[in-house]
Amino acid sequence: MADGTDSGFSEGQPSGPGGSSGPISPDLDPLNITTSTVDLEESLDMGAEGDPKAAGDDITVFTQSSLAGLQLDDALASDVHDLFVTVDDPEKHITNMESYITYRVTTKTTRSDYDSHEYVVRRRYQDFLWLRERLEATNPTHLIPPLPEKHSFRRLDRFSPEFLKTRQAALQKFLSRIVDHPTLSFNENLTIFLTAKELASHRKQAQGIMGKMGSSMRSMAAGYMMKNRSPEYATMQEYVNTFGAKMGTIDRINQRLLKEMTDYEQDLREFGPVFTLWSNSETELAPAMLGMAAGVEKCEKALEQQISDQEHVFAPPVKEYILYAEAMKAVLKRRDSIQMEYELTVEELNRKRNDREQLKMSDQSYSLGAFMGKDPEEVRQQKRTKLDAQIEELLKQVEVSNDNVECANADLKADLERWHRNKRRDVKEVFSELCDRNIQYYQECLSAWEETLQEINQKSELETASTLATPTSSCPDTPNLATPTSSVTPPLPATPTKEGTEGGASEGQEETQ
Amino acid sequence: MADAGSDSAQDVGSEASTPSSSKRATSLLSVLEISVTEPERRTGVSAINMKETYTVYLVETRITDMKSELLPEIFTDETFSLWRRYSEFELLRNYLCVTYPAVVIPPLPEKKIHMMWQKLSGGEDKFDPDFIERRRAGLESFLLRVAAHSQLSQDKIFHAFLHLVEAWKETVLATGYQNKMDSRLKTLNAQFRLKNPDRRFQDLKNYSSELEANIANLLKIRERLAERLYGIHKIHANYGRVFSEWSGIEKEMGDGLQSAGHFMDVYAASIDSMLEEEDTYADALKEYLYFADALRSICRKQELLQYEVEKLEDKLVYLKAQKQQMEQGVDVKSGFSLKGMTTKLFGADTPEIREKKIQQLEEQTQQTEEQLQAAKWELSTYIDRSLQDVERFKRQKVRDLREIFINYSIMQIKLCKKGVSLWNNTKECFTKM
Repeated sequence: MADGTDSGFSEGQPSGPGGSSGPISPDLDPLNITTSTVDLEESLDMGAEGDPKAAGDDITVFTQSSLAGLQLDDALASDVHDLFVTVDDPEKHITNMESYITYRVTTKTTRSDYDSHEYVVRRRYQDFLWLRERLEATNPTHLIPPLPEKHSFRRLDRFSPEFLKTRQAALQKFLSRIVDHPTLSFNENLTIFLTAKELASHRKQAQGIMGKMGSSMRSMAAGYMMKNRSPEYATMQEYVNTFGAKMGTIDRINQRLLKEMTDYEQDLREFGPVFTLWSNSETELAPAMLGMAAGVEKCEKALEQQISDQEHVFAPPVKEYILYAEAMKAVLKRRDSIQMEYELTVEELNRKRNDREQLKMSDQSYSLGAFMGKDPEEVRQQKRTKLDAQIEELLKQVEVSNDNVECANADLKADLERWHRNKRRDVKEVFSELCDRNIQYYQECLSAWEETLQEINQKSELETASTLATPTSSCPDTPNLATPTSSVTPPLPATPTKEGTEGGASEGQEETQ
Repeated sequence: MADAGSDSAQDVGSEASTPSSSKRATSLLSVLEISVTEPERRTGVSAINMKETYTVYLVETRITDMKSELLPEIFTDETFSLWRRYSEFELLRNYLCVTYPAVVIPPLPEKKIHMMWQKLSGGEDKFDPDFIERRRAGLESFLLRVAAHSQLSQDKIFHAFLHLVEAWKETVLATGYQNKMDSRLKTLNAQFRLKNPDRRFQDLKNYSSELEANIANLLKIRERLAERLYGIHKIHANYGRVFSEWSGIEKEMGDGLQSAGHFMDVYAASIDSMLEEEDTYADALKEYLYFADALRSICRKQELLQYEVEKLEDKLVYLKAQKQQMEQGVDVKSGFSLKGMTTKLFGADTPEIREKKIQQLEEQTQQTEEQLQAAKWELSTYIDRSLQDVERFKRQKVRDLREIFINYSIMQIKLCKKGVSLWNNTKECFTKM
């Protein structure tokens, strides 16, 4: 277990120099990324052939294999799933004092320490917060999954359906991560949270203890430099800091994109009607213009969906991982303070041992006791006895806190390994979904424009069949004057698809070279 | 007078426009290729002895059929090229406008391009290569449109523009077109209202306003859209950077992130060429924005001619009324007229004088009637010709706009396909992680 995490960190580093030196195309770094280069070429080749079927098949193969991979991961994790929790049905409560939302928390379990197989309770955000604080206090050596932020992040009303839906999903995720955890899922506070009809009394009870725990932790961690912290933890710390920063950047990029996309959508909303309006003053061109308007409108609708998904499906997991980074910083700090306690104890022990050594050599005739008329040898003996007792006590303490450190390290390593595994799966899933949504958006726009093109061509074939088929000559009525645009794009109304694929393919080939 | 200018136009035009449509099809373009290339920056000395820098364009012609009868005598070389600057194109167009008032004269590209999505990425000036290229395309389009026109393509000055290296400007000025333009402008400035405006031209005027408003609106929004789209794509470059940096700290996911970052960079860069292409369609549409102006001047000319007719009709009515008064010896409007005063002061005219006056009036009436006939003829000829050319313009417009829409749709399709393939590539990077 521990070794796995260890190698995970140390081997992560060598690829660092390559990665940090900016965007490198795969083939610039053939040693490191051979496999991906091969796959890239394969996929691009397919694009060049312009065979959408083959590409489609390949994608399904991919998803299947990735699904298999996911299942494998789960199997490896070997967590026994005997506790299932769902969060749903948000409900608004209005009292004289405040308004708040509760969620229905349904638990199904086969565990013997639960009296029943199914529990249904209603919990509010503050209850979740209580649970998390309790877990953190009782399991300081474990990485506790984060809760969503208390306040909504983007101008959303805290009672709006979108916000509630997003929060419900985040709370569900929080509980799922806990009940899937081999240690946390057995925490008594979780059991209370999931089963107690009424939580207020438990919450009051706990408050006293919690205050103490928190403050002692904090004072311990303040301003000491660890002497023997293994570089492993320094690397972890560094990783967590960078990871948190990157997640933060991704979130900011996404927010900016959302803003820009929303503005774009607003403009698109105006763009369609321009064609509709124009069609009123054109008789022959009216169908083509209405076709343009319809195309623009469909794209606008697709974009609207895309924006909503990006805000409600993509953004929350990114947020969760920003908060996860914070949770990891906290657990690392707690581990450090446990180690620090150990180190301070060892230090104290060494000092006492030192004192005892010195006591052997020292002459006690000038000690305070001697002046008081005691026998120097007696004084020495007294002091030694005292020191011996202290040393023995400290030795016990050292042993205990060494155990604590070992325990904390083991817990942390196990948790981080789990976390890395989950993160990899989540990143894969979340970003693949982001890609899927973009693909879907472009596919919807694509079909909209193909329809529009068909619409324009259909009408023109009916009315001026010969004019468009042969643009440069044999037009008896009026000499066709090609607009300057035609020199840029060969007007191929008859075979637009072919042209499109060629463009895409050549672009793709450019990328690989 | 306004109609003075159109006399010569009718002379020139009558040869070209009277023949049947089969003749019209054989425009100059069927035997001659025209292109505008190689913009070049020059420095010279202007009329007021100031140093000026300007751009010249190489106007190239290539004759495809040396034996054709359609070929004007001036074209002797199979291939020929000469330098022209923007102001010379402007002169040619002004000349054509004055000389062929019944023709919808193709517009020139605007003097300054002020709407460009590129203004985000770089500054713009008169010598910006992109601006120069777009102007070049516009100038070429102008020449091609002139050469494709049955009437305009027969014009000697136009031929000289293509083939006369020396003193072309002087040749244009020698036609005296400026005088016609001046008198035309003078009358244009005067306020006048028609009694019976021609429904067809009023509709045309309304149409050109609508065309202008619609295109202007469309271009305005499409420019905003282009800026947004540019922004959206460029923001994705940030993903490229973050993925690349992130890949440095990840073990298993490193390669996938790195490749995904690469595709994000490609995605961000892909918009440039797309928007450049879209710009050319916007420019093509903009040509029609300026065509609206050409349509309006057709209407204005018609109004002018009709005003002339109505003025003469009024005069005729007035003269006839005068004559009637004289013959009856009664002054109907004695109250305020000078004649009324003189009659009161000096007594009525003697029969001889009255006879003479009546004769004078008759002569004037005769003259006015002739003028009216001429003006009416001119008006009706103008209406026929201009409406014919407007019809031609409308056909051309339908064809061109349809082509723009088609090209625009194809471009969108291309953009979407590129998007699908790029996001598919990106997705592979993640699914493989």
